[in-house]
Amino acid sequence: MGMQAGGSGGLQSEINVTPMVDIMLVLLIIFMVVTPLLQHGVSVNIPRDTRYAEEDQLINKETSVIVAIPNDGEYWLGKKRMSIDDLKSEVDKALSSKEKKDRIVYVKSGIGVSYGEVVRVINAVREKGIDQIGLVADKKKGAAPKAPGT
Amino acid sequence: MAMATKGSNRAVPYINVTPLIDVLLVMLIIFMVITPLKPTRFMADIPAQRDPNENIQNLKPNPLTLVVSISSATDLKLKLNNHDSPLPDEPCNGIVPDYGSVNDPSHLAQCLHETFQKRFNPPAFKTGYETRTDLLMEQRIEKTVFIKAPKAMKYGDVVKVIDAVKGAGANPVGLQVDDLP
Repeated sequence: MGMQAGGSGGLQSEINVTPMVDIMLVLLIIFMVVTPLLQHGVSVNIPRDTRYAEEDQLINKETSVIVAIPNDGEYWLGKKRMSIDDLKSEVDKALSSKEKKDRIVYVKSGIGVSYGEVVRVINAVREKGIDQIGLVADKKKGAAPKAPGT
Repeated sequence: MAMATKGSNRAVPYINVTPLIDVLLVMLIIFMVITPLKPTRFMADIPAQRDPNENIQNLKPNPLTLVVSISSATDLKLKLNNHDSPLPDEPCNGIVPDYGSVNDPSHLAQCLHETFQKRFNPPAFKTGYETRTDLLMEQRIEKTVFIKAPKAMKYGDVVKVIDAVKGAGANPVGLQVDDLP
């Protein structure tokens, strides 16, 4: 009877999950470490569910200039909050080494912020000869990748 | 001997790891979803700063440039070249009653799309692109659209309009930042 129920000679029908748990834990730790690093600067309630926003990997680059406006009258360059006058000089400093066509300022503004605040930032950066800005917006998942008729 | 070493009635020193794996998998999925995958943006051009000494009288407006404006921050009605609804000689006249509002810019998008389609035949090129046959027709047609919004508007609403205009095929999209109401 002892032999039949659970003898050492019987086949072991258990899956060894220890390696799987190991890998899961490592993946989990990797994601936990990487997630906060991916967010640069302040958190902003940017426009969501747009359909035709274009992908741009440069936004996540350390060298690109991102001006965040989480609330009216709050201007952040990267992780630093500053006044509009400091913003001008800092943006100019950050972009002076870049070529003309690569001089793009990304604007990350909250949806509740009034458009006048965005215009103020645009006015500040165009004094420095910048003529292209990128309005950061989240694209809806699975939306049309290309505009119709283009 | 068998009884002494491994009996069925002895406690098996084995931890049940199934709940642990369940929790780990769920956490893993949560973190994978939170991690933003690809950042996206709308490219917009801004006009160069106005030279105060420049004579505005000498500047010739481009008749092909379209301006989408939002009448006021309260009623959020859309206008194309300062009109609420298509003019009789415009391509989308009779198709849409008006250009709609910020919350439903589909009429405006349709109108812009029709207008751009009409510019292929006869072709209406961007200045300087008339003889650039090395480029695609798509890139040579004038599709510039300017957006003019009052300063009191919410930024989120402006982006909705930009999204619709981009969807209609406008390229480049410019933001008008001078003389805003």
